[in-house]
Parts: sequence; structure tokens; C-alpha cells
Amino acid sequence: MTPQLTTEQQAAQAGTTDCALLGETHLTGEQFGALMGGTTGTAGPEVAAAEAHLLVCEQCAVELASLREAISLFREASNAYADEELRSRPRWILPARRSYSQSLIPAYWVAATAMFLTALLPLQVMRRHTLAPPAASVSSVAVSNTASDTQSDEALLEDVNSEISASVPTSMQALADPTADASTANNETSVPTTDQRKD
Amino acid sequence: MAFEGAQMFPSTSVSLGNEARATPLDDLENVVALYQPRVFSFLLATLRDRDAAETLTQETFLRAWSARASFREDCSVATWLIRIALNLARDHTRTGRFRFWKRVTASAVDVAEVAAFVPTHERSAEAQLIAKQQVAGIWETVAGLSARQRSIFLLRFMEEMEIPEIATVTGLPLGTVKSHLYRALAIIRAQHVSSPNNIKTHGATTKETE
Repeated sequence: MTPQLTTEQQAAQAGTTDCALLGETHLTGEQFGALMGGTTGTAGPEVAAAEAHLLVCEQCAVELASLREAISLFREASNAYADEELRSRPRWILPARRSYSQSLIPAYWVAATAMFLTALLPLQVMRRHTLAPPAASVSSVAVSNTASDTQSDEALLEDVNSEISASVPTSMQALADPTADASTANNETSVPTTDQRKD
Repeated sequence: MAFEGAQMFPSTSVSLGNEARATPLDDLENVVALYQPRVFSFLLATLRDRDAAETLTQETFLRAWSARASFREDCSVATWLIRIALNLARDHTRTGRFRFWKRVTASAVDVAEVAAFVPTHERSAEAQLIAKQQVAGIWETVAGLSARQRSIFLLRFMEEMEIPEIATVTGLPLGTVKSHLYRALAIIRAQHVSSPNNIKTHGATTKETE
């Protein structure tokens, strides 16, 4: 009595690797996924059966190997492309790996001083403009001039008033009192009298 | 930065106080040097936009550093960073602005550029061409996956994370992660099989490399 052989053993004896002769179907999608994506740690009986199938089915074995190789190429090409892309870009600026040590303190002081001066300069300029603006100085001069002019005007008006208020103007004083001082008057006037003409 | 000026990160040396514990993220310069390529690569494959990928990479490290006190070290630094990056990418792709600019942005990744980086491995010119076609095909197919399928596929095959680690990063149950991964693989497998030369030339390619 010959022992019963499994279909896979029969196929192996016949030297064939065609699944059709074994009366089997090819790997299912789940088996294929388990072989491709599964890991040894999670391999169960299903994976073991699929691996056994690969031993007798060249078509599935070739397909699996081809896809594995293609995915491997995909990984290598993608990583190489990403590496090249990353190299072509500027490096990130990362802070130096040191603490806020004393070596940085002078730099901080210089920066702080520069910032202080930068902030102070416009204030000084603004202050200078505020203290002596051109328009203000002109107006102050004008005010002082106006005050002195007012004083001189008042003095002039006072003189005019005093002359007007006088009964006889200063220029007519000699006519108002002809006897007061004849000699003086004669000396002062250039017009000769009738007596002088006779002389 | 080329598009938004240099990004200044906060000083790594700011005192955390006596009560604050030290974390691996305190040394930001070292963390960036170690993980920047990985985070950028993941975001670039996810978003397919170079500028957006760089912006979100910066944001990832900034957030990680800001929230470093909450890092309990129950996962690796890489896992934590990828988790932040994934959340940022998810938020970014939800905006309508991203959907609009995705079509017109000048910094969008060209498939041909990626395919040009296929390693040669001393292949023949024909095999090299087929390899480029395969990579371009997968790149385009991944773009057509749902956001969750794409993330899980990239975490598994680009980041080479284990299924439980992907579950941690995405916050999904193991079964859900497997389900999305298998569906993504089924779509990619269908595209791969339907492409001419992919399967039948594989043997020849393998022989050449051997």
C-alpha cells in the first residue's frame, strides 16, 4: 500500500511548479500581504502555509520577489532623492550648544548699548527741535520788538499830546510875547526890523 | 531656508530648572543631525511637495523640542518624531489650500526625478530602464492610495517599521494596521503585475545581477 502523498509532494515528484496542476489557487491577497508586510514575529500558520506554497509555485515566487525588489528600489530611490534634496537646501541655524556663559556677556552689553543709543538719538534730536524751533525764536524776537516799539510810540504820542495841549505851540512862542526878550528874539530871527533897515 | 528665511530654533541650553528631567531631545542639534533625513524623507513621500516637506520637518523638530518634557521614552525618539510628523502631515493635507496648491505648486515632486535616483547595481541599460519604470509606477500608485493606506505603507516600507510600531505611531489597532497594509499592497501588486515587463523580465534582471 503506497502512502498518501499531499498534492504538493506529488507536484514535487512530478517536477512541476504549476499551481494549477496542484489544484490550488495562487496566493490570496491576504497571504501575499502577510508575506510582504508581515514580520517574522507575527508570522502565524497562514504565513507558513503561504511560504510552503511558494516552494512549489514559481509564478507566485517570482511575483513576490519582483514586487519586493520594486519596493526596495522605491525605498532606495526615495531616500536618495530626499537626501539630495536636503543637501541642496541651506542648513538650519541652530543655536550653539553652550550656556549663557561669560563669553556672551560682552556681546549682550554691546547690543544693549547699541539699542540704547539707537533709541536715545531720535529723542535728542527731537528735544533739540522742541527747545529752539525757528518759528518760536522769530515770534519771541517779534514780541520783544513790539514791546520797544510800543514804548517809543507812547513817548512820541505823549510829546504830541503835550504840544497840542499847550496854549501856544513852541514854534509860535516868540510871536505870543514879542516884548519878552527882544534882543534874543532879534538875534534869533533872521528877518531885519524896519529900524535895522533904516540903519 | 530657501523659501522663508533661516529658521531659528530656541536655544538648547535654556535651563529647564532643577526639577525638570533631562531628555534625549534636549540636545536639539544632535537630534536634528540624526533624524532630519528620515523625517524629511517620510514627509516628502507623504506630501510630494519639497517646500511643504521641509516646513513640516522644521515644525516637527520644533514641536518635539517644545514638548520634550512630555516625552516619556516609552518609544524611541525616531518613533516619537515620526508620530509628530504624521500628525502634522495629516493636518496639512486636510486643508483646502493644500489640495489647491498641490496641483500648481512649483515645488511638487516630479516622478521622473525620483526614478532617476534608482541605484544602478551594475544593471544593463534595459534593466535600469525597467527599474525606473517600476519605481515610477509604485510612486504614482502610492499617491493614489487613501491617506491612511499611504501612511501605513510608507511607515512599513520606507521607515521599515514593524507592525506594532506602526500601530503605536498611528494610534490604530494592530488588526486595522494589517488590514490597511494588505489593501495597499493589493493595489500596488495589481499595478505591478499589470505593468509590462515587470514580472517576465525579473528573472533576467536577477540573473544579470547575479
